[in-house]
Order: sequence, then structure tokens, then C-alpha cells
Amino acid sequence: MEAASVPTARRTPPAPAPTPRRSRGAGAIAFSATKVGVLLLAVAWIVPLALLAVTPMKSFEEYSDTSQWSLPSDPLQLFDNMKEAWDSAGLGSAFLASLSYGLVGALVAILCGALGAYAITRLELKGRFFWFLLVFSGTLFPFQMYLIPLFQLYTDTQLYDTWIGMALFYSAIAVPFCLFVMRGFFSTIPPEIEDAAKLDGASSWGILWRVLMPLARGPIAVLILFQFTWIWNDFMFGLVLSTSDGVRPIMPALVGLQGSSSTAGPPVVLAGALIGSLPTIALFLLLGRYLLSGLTLTATGKDE
Amino acid sequence: MAAPLARPAPAGAAPSAPAREAGLAPPPAGSRRRALRRLTPYLYLLPMVLLVGIFLLYPAVKTVWVAFTDATGTSAGSFVGFDNFSRLVNDPAFRTSVRNTVYWVIGALVLQVGLGLLLALILSNMRAGDWLKRLFYLPATLSGAAVGVIWFYVFNPDQGLLTSFLDAVGLESLTTRWLADPPINTFAMIFAATWQGLGPAMILFLVGLQNLPREPIEAARVDGARGLRLFWHVTLPLLRPMSAVVVAITLINNFKVFDLIWVMTQGGPYRSSETLAVSMYRESFVTFAVGYGASIAVVLTLIVTILSVFYLRSMFRKVEVY
Repeated sequence: MEAASVPTARRTPPAPAPTPRRSRGAGAIAFSATKVGVLLLAVAWIVPLALLAVTPMKSFEEYSDTSQWSLPSDPLQLFDNMKEAWDSAGLGSAFLASLSYGLVGALVAILCGALGAYAITRLELKGRFFWFLLVFSGTLFPFQMYLIPLFQLYTDTQLYDTWIGMALFYSAIAVPFCLFVMRGFFSTIPPEIEDAAKLDGASSWGILWRVLMPLARGPIAVLILFQFTWIWNDFMFGLVLSTSDGVRPIMPALVGLQGSSSTAGPPVVLAGALIGSLPTIALFLLLGRYLLSGLTLTATGKDE
Repeated sequence: MAAPLARPAPAGAAPSAPAREAGLAPPPAGSRRRALRRLTPYLYLLPMVLLVGIFLLYPAVKTVWVAFTDATGTSAGSFVGFDNFSRLVNDPAFRTSVRNTVYWVIGALVLQVGLGLLLALILSNMRAGDWLKRLFYLPATLSGAAVGVIWFYVFNPDQGLLTSFLDAVGLESLTTRWLADPPINTFAMIFAATWQGLGPAMILFLVGLQNLPREPIEAARVDGARGLRLFWHVTLPLLRPMSAVVVAITLINNFKVFDLIWVMTQGGPYRSSETLAVSMYRESFVTFAVGYGASIAVVLTLIVTILSVFYLRSMFRKVEVY
């Protein structure tokens, strides 16, 4: 039903000239029908977000005695629930651990990707495309392909359940996309820009740091946002490669809080989910434009 | 030790400058230095190749080997040929898992791609569009684990949002134990995944619509095409490169969903809502049939690879079109 009215909606505003007058009335009705449809869908999209925001404002008694649809009687309960979530199941230390993984992982990956991209686009190198494909193929596999040998490798080398082990893995998994973006960006910069620096006797290292990297601030911002969000939201690798508080990232800690062995009530669990979601929501609201351009970058390989 | 430390910065330029000023021929050590200089580019590659090689490529290759062994949690096992794969074919849990994976892929295709396209078409012409785009994209910034936690409570059979809503509008006959009854539990989770995945699909379609060439659409309008016919015969074919990308990304992502399912049902009850990704985890890290788990990972990879080829081909075709 909605499908039929879509093209009408598309036609009505942008084509005033060739559209015959008679279709206007019917078009307007169809257009407002699609409007209502979209608004209903928007409400359906808001409700779970509201659950995430409102339930942590209720006490456990209030949650069990009233409907989930009811509004909280004492919204300040939010801070009690957030504090309880932060203190239980190691969520607070997991929050800080994930913060460090996200920042370190993104920066190390961008550094390695930029070095590699520079060599591939600028230096005398045999098999440029081979090196690119080799590293880029690292993300082509479903993540399930990494789990078993990684777990074995980590237990054999004492990297299992260590901060450095987690940071190394998160850096590695972010590298291929960083290489992809930096290589694309460097190849759009005309080589003449480096000529002045070369005449001054700058080394390849100096050209990379003084000429190219300052130009790449835009792509680097996109990469930090994208990789930080990815690392922050990861659940599976944190679950497999770590167990103890202080090493375990935020999402496995949140799931531990929700799990069957936990005694926390739904308001506290959802307060934990809120804590785990606030950083990425804030990033999106503040810098959403960059996230979206990163998204089109992943999909099409072009910066829109 | 000293030479490699000094080398990256000057790369031969600084030390040779005084030599050139003094009018000297290249020193006898020049050939060694030249060899070093030829090596420098590869040093730039080294950190990235080491990281990706050790933590991604080596594990991926090794999983293929493990899939042909009877490894367990404690032993590396020995080579057993295709035993794991023939066991898969006869395993009812694996068949359930494949069926659920197909549900996921078809559901994602219809809901995420279909609704995403529909929303993109409507919002591109709507005044409050920007505000709504943000709203529909917002769930995509949450993690799969957080989405799972939220929807776990939405689908709570006793007092969850959905059950109490249906009660309130007099449809209590429709209520069920959403996450316990197969195949409803899989459909419920596909719906939660749609809540999360719709935004990116919509944004990509919006980008595609923005970049459509204007002339063919105007020409078709002048020829009298409008409404569904204009959409079906002109807009949709022009949008095909982006549609292929969205379809492929959605397919590939929904083949691999793990966190959402693990949080909401752990693949249960009685393994009824497992997908390939969840079965792989359960066999490898819960029952410790590591070799068997690896064979599921290989099957998953084969399927995703076939889809990726389709994706890459559509990407290259897109390059030719523009």
C-alpha cells in the first residue's frame, strides 16, 4: 500500500511544470498518506530508544509493579541505577578499557595504514598492488575465521586476557580499512606538492610527516570516528580473548551484567546499556557528518 | 644497530650532501647504502604487514587447516579429511542453523533493503527529512550487544513493550513467548536487526538518489512517464549500481550476525534460533569441538566469498558507469 504511493510522493514536489493539474488532488492525498506512514514508522523507531532512556529512571519495584509504558515517578533514580551498573559486573573498568582500546587501536592502525599507503603510492616498491591486496584481504573473511587460531595463539603466548593483547588485535583489525582510505587519499594528491620539500632535501620520512599527513586531517578524522566506534561496539572478540575486569571490553561486560548469572534488575541492566551507548551516540550527534561520509566510503570506495 | 637507526630519517640524502660538496665520488660503502635505500620502502610496509599477517591472515589460513582435523579444546587433533563436513550434512542442528541463516538473509533483504529504499525515496522529498534521517540512523550507532539488550526487554513475554501494547489494543491473542517459540524467535531478532540496520541502507540509497543523472528522468517525464512506471522503468534501473552495493552489504552483514543473537537467545531454546555464526561459536567455545566449529567457519566463508565476488563485480561495474 505504501509502495504504491511512494513515486507519487517523489513526483509531486520536484515536477511542477509538466505535471497535469488534475492529478494534484489525488497526489496530495497519497502524499499525506505516505507522511502518516513515515511518522508511524518513526514512532516505532523511537519507542525502543525511549525504553533505553526511560527504564533506567525507575526503581526495581516501580519497574515490576507498573507497565513498561508508564513514565518514571522519580527520574533522578537514573543516577542511582547508572552508579550501580558502573560498579557491578566490572562495567566501569570495562568502560575505561574500551576507551583506551578505541583510541590506541584507531591511532596505531592509522599510523600503520598511513606508512603502508605512503610506501605503496610514493616509494619505489615492487608489487604495489600485491601488498595492498595482501593487507586488504585481512577484512574479507567473516570474523568467525579468526576466532579459533587467535584463541590458541593468545593462550600459547600469554597474550590471552591482557591489555596489550586486546590493543594489538584491535589495531590489527582496523589496519586494512585505514590502508584502503589512506591509499585512496594519497593517490589524489599531486606529487608536485612534495617537490619543494624534496628540493629542501627532505627525506621520505620528512615528506610523509610534514607534507602529506597534515593534508590528510579529514580522512584521519573519519577513520578515528569509524574505528573507535567499531572497537567500542565489538562484542565477539572481547568475549573470546578476555575474561577479567580491567581487560574485558565494555560490550562483553554489559552482556555479563544482563546474563543469567547476574542479579541486576532490568533498570540497572538498561542503565548499563545506556552507559555503553552514550559515547557512540554522542559521537554521532556531534560528528555525524563524518560518520556518514565514512559509511559511503566503505560502501562505494569514494568520498562523497 | 647504528645504521638502521640513522637510516629512516635521512635516507641517504643528508650524509651524501657533505660528500657532494667536497666533490668526492660515492664512497666505497655506497653499494651497501644503496641496498639499504632500496630496502627502506619495505620498512614502511613492515608494521602493517606484521599486524595483519599475525592477527588476521595467519588465523584465517589456519582455520582452514583446523577444519580438516578433529581438534578439541585440549588437543590439536589429527587430519581427518572431509569428516567434519560430512558430519555437518547429517547434523540436524546444522540444518536448523542453515535454515535460520536463510531466514535472516531473506528477512534482511526484504526489510532492510526494501524499507531503506522506500524511506530514502520518501525522505529525499520531505521537509523534515533531515531530522527523520538522523532518527532512523541513530540505532546504527549502538552496538549489536546493546540492541540485543534493549529488544530482549521489548520482547519480554510478561510485561514487555510489545505484549502490553498488543494487550492494550485488544490483540492479546497474537501474543506469544516471542523469544522462546521457533521460528517466531528468529523473526523477532530479524526485526531487532532491522531496527538497527535500516539507517545505513537508507543513507546509501539517499546518496545514490542524489547522484542520479537528471536528464533521463526529465526526458521520461516529458514522455509522460510518472508514478510507479517512472520509478520502475527509469529510477530503479538508474539506481542499480547503488542497489547492488546495498544488497551485497546487507546480505554479508546478516550472514555474520552473532552478538545480537547471543544476547537475546544464545541461539536457544534447544538451539532453535542458531545461525551459522552462532553454531560456529557454540561448537568451538562451548562444546569445544574445535575442528567441527572450524568447518562451520569455512562453510560460512565460502558462502560469503561467493557474495563478495558479486559485490566487487558490482563495484567495478559502478566505476565503469560513471
